[in-house]
Amino acid sequence: MAELGALSLPLAFFLPLLTALAAFLLGARQAPWLAGIGALATVAAVADAVRRVAAHGPQAYHLGGWAPPLGVELYADGLAALMLAMTAAVALAVTAYAGAYLHGQGQAAERFWPLWLVQWAALNGTFLSADLFNLYVMLELVTLTAVPLVAMAGDRASLGAAMRYLLLALIASLAYLLGVALLYGGTGTLHLREVGELAGAGGPTAVAAALVTAGLLLKAAIFPLHAWLAPAHSSAPAPASAALSALVAQAGVYLVLRLWLWAFPALLSPVVGWGLGGLGAASVLYGSLQALRQSRLKPVIAYSTVAQLGYPLLLLPLAAVPAAASQAWQGAAYFIVAHGLAKAGAFLAAGNVYYSLGHDRLAGLRGLAPELSASVLALGLAWVSLMGLPPTAGFLAKWQLLSGALAGGQWPWAVVVVLGGLLAAGYGFRVLATAHAAAPPGGPVGRPARRLPWRMAATPLLLALAVYLLGVSAVPALRLLGQGAPEALG
Amino acid sequence: MGLAFDLLLAGGLLGLALQVVASRGLFRSVVLFIALGLLMALAWARLAAPDLALAEAAIGAGLTGALLLSAYRALQPAEEAADPGPAALPRWGALAAAVLSGALVAALGWAALGLEAPAASAGREALARLGESGVKSPLTGVLLGFRAIDTLAEVVVLLVAFLGARVVAEPLQRAGPGPSAPGSGEPVLTAPLLRLVVPMGVIVAGYLLWSGGHQPGGAFQAGAVLAALGVLLRLTGRLQPAAATSPAERLALVGGIVLFSAIGLAGAGTASAVLAYPEAWAYPLILAIETGLAVAIALPLTLLFSGSAGLRWRER
Repeated sequence: MAELGALSLPLAFFLPLLTALAAFLLGARQAPWLAGIGALATVAAVADAVRRVAAHGPQAYHLGGWAPPLGVELYADGLAALMLAMTAAVALAVTAYAGAYLHGQGQAAERFWPLWLVQWAALNGTFLSADLFNLYVMLELVTLTAVPLVAMAGDRASLGAAMRYLLLALIASLAYLLGVALLYGGTGTLHLREVGELAGAGGPTAVAAALVTAGLLLKAAIFPLHAWLAPAHSSAPAPASAALSALVAQAGVYLVLRLWLWAFPALLSPVVGWGLGGLGAASVLYGSLQALRQSRLKPVIAYSTVAQLGYPLLLLPLAAVPAAASQAWQGAAYFIVAHGLAKAGAFLAAGNVYYSLGHDRLAGLRGLAPELSASVLALGLAWVSLMGLPPTAGFLAKWQLLSGALAGGQWPWAVVVVLGGLLAAGYGFRVLATAHAAAPPGGPVGRPARRLPWRMAATPLLLALAVYLLGVSAVPALRLLGQGAPEALG
Repeated sequence: MGLAFDLLLAGGLLGLALQVVASRGLFRSVVLFIALGLLMALAWARLAAPDLALAEAAIGAGLTGALLLSAYRALQPAEEAADPGPAALPRWGALAAAVLSGALVAALGWAALGLEAPAASAGREALARLGESGVKSPLTGVLLGFRAIDTLAEVVVLLVAFLGARVVAEPLQRAGPGPSAPGSGEPVLTAPLLRLVVPMGVIVAGYLLWSGGHQPGGAFQAGAVLAALGVLLRLTGRLQPAAATSPAERLALVGGIVLFSAIGLAGAGTASAVLAYPEAWAYPLILAIETGLAVAIALPLTLLFSGSAGLRWRER
């Protein structure tokens, strides 16, 4: 019998999947406790995986006992473990929040639970899989669960947004798959690190890398492939928005980093690095400017996702510069974690606003801070991290990126980081200022605020607090990140 | 002779693809798309991939075609009112798309022609070590053995597709095609033909399932045949759309995946790892999983065509 040590890796995929199947079989009404139990079991598996990586270094698990290239390997290094842990925290919040939200909004939870839990399983699979084709299958599952979550409101706007998302995401999947087929044709293997060793930097590899990257950038909504994100993420129900922005879109960014650093490092020339970093920078600036122009809360947060997803790409031009690599690497990885937690908190807080008032128009938020104090507080706390102010995880991440950029002598990226933070302050304070403004004469417009269940009020606050905890002490997370990092970056 | 046939096939594929995109009427495009799927199946057969040929013909041409036709019918009333033809792209847009696609094809062709076959590949290793997988068909060995996780996830994709379709379709409260009250107006031969075709279809599906162990066939092909039977029964009104998924249907939809996962996880104790089979039991376990999967493939496909949450036998 093989050692059962890394069994928590496959369990991180199978536990949410089986919970989803059971939730579909029994129905949400018969077993409302099911999702919670499945979520706790998954968190336990993830915690075990993280503990093992932290204590013993990277963990590999050969599914079916078949070593690559024949079989599929699950591989957890520090980066993957960090993503699993962030996903578990966000997923726990989404699971705790969704029941009350959907019930209160009169939306059918019947379809939500299986879709969401399959999505969690596929996200864990995406972070763990070291096989390019298996990654395609997992990404496909992530996308196909995300689209119906967008469409759940069932109105014209959300159906249109879901349709556009579906079509673009399928094109992205096909581009990715074409690239993977070329890579297999050239190397005879699908294993991430073996491809990295065998592919080289020839023409076919470059074409394959371009296709794969284009597909992933579309899934991550990086400028100029961002157009689908804001309508899709703002028309989904709030818990789904949180999962989509904090996890689904970030999985695309994660894979861009994973593939360029592990599978195509030979191709990462300064020109390519600057090109990809430039797209990231354009995302940061364009997304922020769009966020400033929105008149509703959820689109502001959604455009802020477009902006924030650009930052991790700034690692790519810095990865090849020895003086900058290590700090930029820590900054980029920590950024994904910080953004995931803060963005999920922000979307859940926005969900509270929507739940309570029945709308999320910024103009209608005046004078409502007293009723929604906990949610507005959570929104504000999360935003401090998105702006990159201390003592948050967002600050530490941006600080590392900034120091890396300056140490590497590539000051344009530093300018982008600072400018992005200022713009985030702009669109953040615009929302907060309205929420704290005095009520218009005659009291707030619209119907009186609806009372929030305590669970919905508490969840975004807890997420925001997690961002501060990670801002106070980054040492455990950064030590974890060091496990199995590429040599140039460690 | 072979070359001439291949050239004809390739030319036909390109011509049909062009017609699918460029033809004026939606209906024409759909029909041509089905023809394209059938030619594609021939191409797979010429490439010595009979498994893919079977799947392409059954799913790519057959079931996808049926889905497209049923979607076309749902669009009909809207189209009769004012038939503007397909939405016209501005000329520059079409040109830009054509140039980009052309560049993509050229880059792909150049990259593919420049590839040197690697000395060793996962595919060749799979052929060499097929004996260890417990089955004799390379494809089943890869799908249920070496890369079982991909197959498991792909069947989950079908379940997710069904759930997604329900999310979108439920507010419409409208089922797909087919007579709501069959029987009186139907052609005389329908009933006797069904009595012949349906049992034959079930036998064919069973044969495909069993043959997957040593030759082309397996869960996907068997599931497609079963789904085709479902479509037939639905179109002739033997199966009626239902607004809710019955417990039995729920079990059929997830049973195969649950069985696959359970046997897979048990592998950590009974064999070397998760998704490994105990050596002596590999073949029977794989056959059991394939049976469950065939049902888990057939039912969502039928339900997608039916456009309903469930199906009920017509009351007599």
